[in-house]
Amino acid sequence: MAALWPFPLLISESLWACLALTLPDGYPEPHNGPPTAGFNYSHVDPSVDQPSALRVFSLDYHHVQAPFEIVLWIMLASLAKLGFHWSGRVPAIVPESCVLIMVGLLVGGVIYGVRHSAPPTLSADAFFLFLLPPIVLDAGYFLPGRLFFENLGTILWYAVLGTLWNVLGIGLSLYGVCLLAPSSLGDISLLHCLLFGSLIAAVDPVAVLSVFQEMHVNEQLHILVFGESLLNDAVTVVLYKLFESFLRLPSVTGLDVLVGGCRVVVVGLGGLFVGLFFGLVAALTSRFTFRAQVIAPLFVFLYSYLSYLTSEMLHFSGIVAIVTCAVTMKQYVEANVSERSNTSIQYFLKMWSSVSETLIFIFLGVSTIQDIHMWSWPFVCSTLLLCLVWRATGVLLLTAVVNKLRRNAVTFRDQFIIAYGGLRGAICFSLVFLIDDFPKKRLFITTTIVVILFTVFVQGMTIKPLVELLGVKRKKRALPTVSEEIHSRVLDHLLSGIEDVVGYWGQHYWKDRFEQFNKKYLRRFLIGEHHQTHSSILRVYQEVERREQQGVEETPPAVDAHSSSRPLLPEEMDSIRRILSRNLQNFNNKQMPAYSRHTLHQDLTTDEMRKPLHRHQSLTERCTYHTITYCPQRVDGEFSKSCRGRARLSRSHTVCSASPRWSERPDSLVPAALNHTQPSDPGPAEEEQDSPQRRTQIERATKKQLSFILENEKPL
Amino acid sequence: MGSRASTLLREEEIEEIKKETGFSHSQITRLYSRFTSLDKGENGFLGRIIKIPESPMCRRVVVSFREDQVNFKGFMRTLAHFRPIEDNEKNKNPPTSEPLNSRTNKLLFAFRLYDLDRDDKISRDELLQVLRMMVGVNISDDQLGSIADRTIQEADTNGDNCISFQEFIKVLEKVDVEQKMSIRFLH
Repeated sequence: MAALWPFPLLISESLWACLALTLPDGYPEPHNGPPTAGFNYSHVDPSVDQPSALRVFSLDYHHVQAPFEIVLWIMLASLAKLGFHWSGRVPAIVPESCVLIMVGLLVGGVIYGVRHSAPPTLSADAFFLFLLPPIVLDAGYFLPGRLFFENLGTILWYAVLGTLWNVLGIGLSLYGVCLLAPSSLGDISLLHCLLFGSLIAAVDPVAVLSVFQEMHVNEQLHILVFGESLLNDAVTVVLYKLFESFLRLPSVTGLDVLVGGCRVVVVGLGGLFVGLFFGLVAALTSRFTFRAQVIAPLFVFLYSYLSYLTSEMLHFSGIVAIVTCAVTMKQYVEANVSERSNTSIQYFLKMWSSVSETLIFIFLGVSTIQDIHMWSWPFVCSTLLLCLVWRATGVLLLTAVVNKLRRNAVTFRDQFIIAYGGLRGAICFSLVFLIDDFPKKRLFITTTIVVILFTVFVQGMTIKPLVELLGVKRKKRALPTVSEEIHSRVLDHLLSGIEDVVGYWGQHYWKDRFEQFNKKYLRRFLIGEHHQTHSSILRVYQEVERREQQGVEETPPAVDAHSSSRPLLPEEMDSIRRILSRNLQNFNNKQMPAYSRHTLHQDLTTDEMRKPLHRHQSLTERCTYHTITYCPQRVDGEFSKSCRGRARLSRSHTVCSASPRWSERPDSLVPAALNHTQPSDPGPAEEEQDSPQRRTQIERATKKQLSFILENEKPL
Repeated sequence: MGSRASTLLREEEIEEIKKETGFSHSQITRLYSRFTSLDKGENGFLGRIIKIPESPMCRRVVVSFREDQVNFKGFMRTLAHFRPIEDNEKNKNPPTSEPLNSRTNKLLFAFRLYDLDRDDKISRDELLQVLRMMVGVNISDDQLGSIADRTIQEADTNGDNCISFQEFIKVLEKVDVEQKMSIRFLH
């Protein structure tokens, strides 16, 4: 099996070779400034001779050329990705991004060899307008909100100040290097160095995501690196444009620098507000989609993309806008649209972002093969070195300051990973092509490519062993026991009470205030009425919360002490967990699974409360038992014997679900509550969609112990 | 707020509290002003502070102050449990007894939240009371009973159907109690 994987690749590559051979000789000149259309060859007419008579079979490639090529590229990317997953041990050692770049290099080499000219390169426009938004949207939509906002201060600190530090440091030191080697590098001015610094210093979200998601570090570390890579876009954009405009100005005054500083703030905040605006409009629109549910997902994508384009138009930070838009609209959209629409949204997001990411890496590889390179040992090596050094010192310094204000300090190991995990990627690459032409531009391009390849390959490949070597705290795998969960919640409550007593306006306080505002105004406005009355479990939970805050305390019920010392069956265990997660008040749940690129496991809290999914097939069929409980990466020890939990779903691209399937069921568990009229596909993707209809068909089980399982499935 | 002459904190008291709890001087004075603002009467005792917080555990918190009326020392002693554990403390001066914010003491504080009758065991009823308080009215008694049973069963090693303190510690060994039960008191 594993040996078969190169074949699709070879097929696609031979396709390309054929194309390259048959196509005419036009190609864009890579030497003159940025290449124009990324995908097209020039349109010299192929030799279609005028038919003198009717032909039975004719070929008109020219007609379909553009879409055909685009599809071929996407096909190549996807086949490469597929092949990667089929290859035996490669995924464990080499991150996916590396393999894709290598494939790109191969393809580029093939094209170059066949046609003796540069292969098509990734145009900056295509990248920024088409390839980047899906990835960032996907990241924003699945952002672990609570964790992100808890660490927002730290993330902003790293993103803004860290990037500034890096840019200035690298720029100035590179200028120093240029001064030291005036013979070869003398014509690079300070502004050029600063410009170069600004584009090379930024950590790239695409690369970071693709490497980190395979690493399963603890969520806090993950969100720090990832959040930083997202938010530093604002700073990067501003600095880049600033230095570029400085280059065009005859002279630079202090006022210009000040204006530049203000622009950082404007760009960031502008992106934020654009995102907020579109997010709220999208939420409002989704309120009315219940009559045309099929197009509801479209609104999500359209509004997000619109926010990106608008903020790019206004020269704000598009990434910040689209992330804000996604974060804002998520909870309202999820409440408003149907289950299927939700699933569609998530699936499409994942799909598009996956394709985009793959394409980006492949193009990075392809674009490396060019005639455009200019090499200079001192420049390249010093750039590499300076990137590493400045990032490391920056992280150290910033963390030393920020640790004084944080509750959970960022340890040294974490700092090392943050510094080492600063990967550069395609954003730098595109930005370097956009520079106005000047003599040493080719040197910049080469250096950028080298830095990108170095960080992705060397750092990307070694970071995983380093993480293990250093013993960085990994994500918790084990499912918490009921005791742990209860006691943790008790402690959370306690802490919240103590914080109130002490008068400490911590995160709980502001979160509470926001939640009240949210409930009072936003939700009422943005969520459709009938969705508010048909509560999702979330509303019940809020109802409980409200009553508790009014101080309703029940006397402890007179329970007869039936000593049930028999071990609880796993289904009961399951539903206990679900009840707890639904009904207990929920504060800092730090045991959230980290965001992962390739799966759809969502927030534990809201999602579990939204989807009580518990189905039994009817008895006549083989009694299999589906449950969607927690995210599959927590394989509970108790379940291990009888369940086929999907442990490592990070490689799968399905909707997340742990489906313990038991071929034999104990007799006592027979409430044939839900009858499947269509037991068609027991695949996990179907499960979530059918549940709402099933809910109405529940019959009560006779067994007392299990009654509570079903009771809570009732629509409330 | 304002200064009440009769309740000014004396230096030797501050020193005492500092030694016992490990808070710094400025933290103590700040918490003192908070204490006096919570104080309803004039005699330095905390009255009913149920009004302030909105969390359901507030009554328990009050109870956990362990006296009916609480003075500032008791207040600080309780709050000392929530100081974050710092690594360098161990090296500076080896304390004669365990500091109040050690993991064991934090857990003991949490244990006492459940164990109202102070018999050093969490019985099923006590557990049910806490559960009921947190969960509210939406769950039936049977369900809650099952949950309580399960909790006891997971923890109970000696079969007495109650959770002793040692068992409690063991159950929570994977939970990061030090971080959960810490508030960063501003300096």
